[in-house]
Amino acid sequence: MDGKKPVIQFQDFCFHYKIQNKPTLHDINLTIFEGEKVLILGASGSGKSTLANCINGLIPFSFAGKITGSLKVNGLETRDLSIFKLSTMVGTVLQDSDAQFVGLSVGEDIAFAMENENTPRAEMLPRVLRYATEVGMEDFLPSLPFNLSGGQKQKVALAGVLGDSMNILIFDEPLASLDPHTGTVTIDLIDKIARNGNRTVIIIEHRLEDALHRPVDRVILMDKGRIVADTTTFELLCSDILQKYGIREPLYISALKYAGCELDKIKGLEDPAFMELSSGDIDKLHKFFAIKPDSQPTEIGEKAIQTESVTFSYIRGPKAKNVLRDISLEVRKGERVALIGKNGAGKSTLARLICGIDRPDAGVIYISGNNQKGMSVREIGEEIGYVMQNPNQMIVKDIIKDEVELALRLKRLSEDEIASRAEKTLRTCELYKMRNWPVDAVSYGQKKRITVASILALEPEVVILDEPTAGQDYRHYMEIINFINKLNAEYKKTIIFITHDMHLAIENTDRAIVLAEGELIADNSVFSVLSDDDIITRANLKQTSLYTLAKLIDISPERCIEHYILFERGHKGILDEQ
Amino acid sequence: MNNRLLINYTPGTTPIHRLNGATKVMGFIVVTVYIIMTFDARIMLPMFLLCTAGVISMRPNWKPILLIMGFMFIMAGVIGSMMIILIRPSSGLTHVGGETVIVRWTDHFFISRELLWYVGAMYFKRLCSLSTAILFILAITPSELAAGFNKIGMPYKICTVLSLAFRTIPDIARDYIDIKNSLMMRGVELDSRKVGLVARLKQTVFILSPLIMTSFGRIGTIANAMDLRGFSKLKRRSWYSEREPTRADWIARGIIVLVAIFVIYYIVFVRVLNPPPFSYWSPWGYW
Repeated sequence: MDGKKPVIQFQDFCFHYKIQNKPTLHDINLTIFEGEKVLILGASGSGKSTLANCINGLIPFSFAGKITGSLKVNGLETRDLSIFKLSTMVGTVLQDSDAQFVGLSVGEDIAFAMENENTPRAEMLPRVLRYATEVGMEDFLPSLPFNLSGGQKQKVALAGVLGDSMNILIFDEPLASLDPHTGTVTIDLIDKIARNGNRTVIIIEHRLEDALHRPVDRVILMDKGRIVADTTTFELLCSDILQKYGIREPLYISALKYAGCELDKIKGLEDPAFMELSSGDIDKLHKFFAIKPDSQPTEIGEKAIQTESVTFSYIRGPKAKNVLRDISLEVRKGERVALIGKNGAGKSTLARLICGIDRPDAGVIYISGNNQKGMSVREIGEEIGYVMQNPNQMIVKDIIKDEVELALRLKRLSEDEIASRAEKTLRTCELYKMRNWPVDAVSYGQKKRITVASILALEPEVVILDEPTAGQDYRHYMEIINFINKLNAEYKKTIIFITHDMHLAIENTDRAIVLAEGELIADNSVFSVLSDDDIITRANLKQTSLYTLAKLIDISPERCIEHYILFERGHKGILDEQ
Repeated sequence: MNNRLLINYTPGTTPIHRLNGATKVMGFIVVTVYIIMTFDARIMLPMFLLCTAGVISMRPNWKPILLIMGFMFIMAGVIGSMMIILIRPSSGLTHVGGETVIVRWTDHFFISRELLWYVGAMYFKRLCSLSTAILFILAITPSELAAGFNKIGMPYKICTVLSLAFRTIPDIARDYIDIKNSLMMRGVELDSRKVGLVARLKQTVFILSPLIMTSFGRIGTIANAMDLRGFSKLKRRSWYSEREPTRADWIARGIIVLVAIFVIYYIVFVRVLNPPPFSYWSPWGYW
């Protein structure tokens, strides 16, 4: 990097939020050069977003706090600038692409920064068109935010920060709310933008495998407010530090490690499709994938849910467009099932139909063998619990215990019954010690557990979880998943995950039901679904790196994925017992 | 989403739609003052015809409009007029200036020619305000509204908040429905057929706390997103949705100025300096 101009320079930089009692960033020394593409990696609370907010000026201008040391952006000390001055040099795409959509149309949103600079309209229009073209949204200028998908909104957000004087772009967890395929499209787009002109690009992510879909120049790993590694992708993948700092290793890297390959000898390790494996490594992999691990078939119980040719549309009459067409499926008691599909494929609609919020136009839904038609939403709620994605949308009461008791009180049970059921549920969810705590005092993962508890109090047979791990880092992800798996294993609850997280589906479910454009296109074991190209394309899924690895060493992807999962489960089981 | 509740989010293509935001806002203000200033049906009639022609020219979705019209007709036209006739039949004398009785049942229950004129004119005035409002709502998008108000001198921060509100309403409505559904599954009964009004109101309160929590989260993100793109950096701001005035705008503005001059003349010389003896004009020559 010699001879390159530094654009961001941290020197002995510390930051302390005014509202917190400890500093969030410690002794940051980091220089990022012009034109570099840098990935900042770290678990939640590692300080990676705080670091980004220091660069874009939200710190200290919107979030007050104490800065020591120095941070220069384009050679200027940030504390002497203003957030407005910084906003002309640093563009930030926030995590929530919906909430940051300020305009009432695509064009207006892209123009927002220019409007604020009082750019004459005649100059603004061609620039809006140019930026929209750069992200591929030029045909959508008059579209309303309500009619755009998450991926499209993110493209608009990106176009909105492509100002002419902008030479630093920050992406704060760009993959958090996207389906797998859209995620790769976003990473491609970021890569394209980074190569256009001399823009410096900083990506903040904890999903390493997805972020590495396109190469980065450097990876900076953060933990507890410090930089713990500042290295190349290759070095990082060879090291053993990822798990330690709460980052999930790419699946193919784990597989290579399990097989006993020497990672640092593999050329091009960063890209599973083109890495150069030695014949020794290939032998080891073949050997690894040849061992048949023990698999324990799940006990299959009676039918918990059955749908027969369910069809539904939101609009009646001649304009009707079916959101769901002819869906027939069944879920057995004790199963863990993933309901997969891109946004708008009908997953949530199907869940709403099962819960009785909406009723099918045609077809029948049976719950534990009873036709659901005659049951009220409330009655269905005692059989099937639905946990929403955002726990803040579910929590009504201030105290954990009250929240869990709410449904029981509404049922007008006796005080004794309420107390005993609530206690049982609180213990199941390991919330009993915290039962008198205010809801505000707990972490996101615990809030999630409270919402599950508030549903479990009614003792439903089936729990439907809508994106239970969205936006969570590996540690919180594991915390939530372990809890849910325990509900399944120990309390025999049937679990349905609505998700587009392939890792979650692979590792924690037995079966995947895939919807695309309102039709059921697959109902099969997760590893068969994930090795079927046609299904993957139609459902906006993405091949995992295991698939790529299987192709590279010429074995069946289905076997490769199945083997890996079973090995991991056995492996994890051993680790848990230890 | 478009055209629900009459609000247009995307600009239409008819001549009135194509006017720029400032012209529309100016027009609305002048016409509103015009309707407020007078009780004279002769003055109101041309404006009513103009507004109605305007509404027709925009080729709107008539269903919601007719619904609102029908509602207004029942509330103001039928019930409102009945009330006046029953409670104060002498209104004809006080507001119009005469009492030519048509039917008389008792001293207190009668119908006069002037009373009928009075309730008719009053309903007509309401109809005029309604058609002005419909015209304006159909003609303008929230973005143009914000830009238009800014152009006629309102601080741009207030205008932006206005357009942000329109941006957020559908999201909040969706949150509301999601929260309501999840509560229903936990046993909160909101079905009007099964629970009484009071119980339902009480249970609706449950929805508010999560709704407020999620909305506050939204506000925080929006504020940051706006800061990061330099909102409120300068004293002035330009608007993407504010089209440059075209010839049609200058013609429309010319007409608006003429109407405004008439409005000022009427208020000063008719209403203030030379007020008529009765507020309602009638064809029987009381003023």
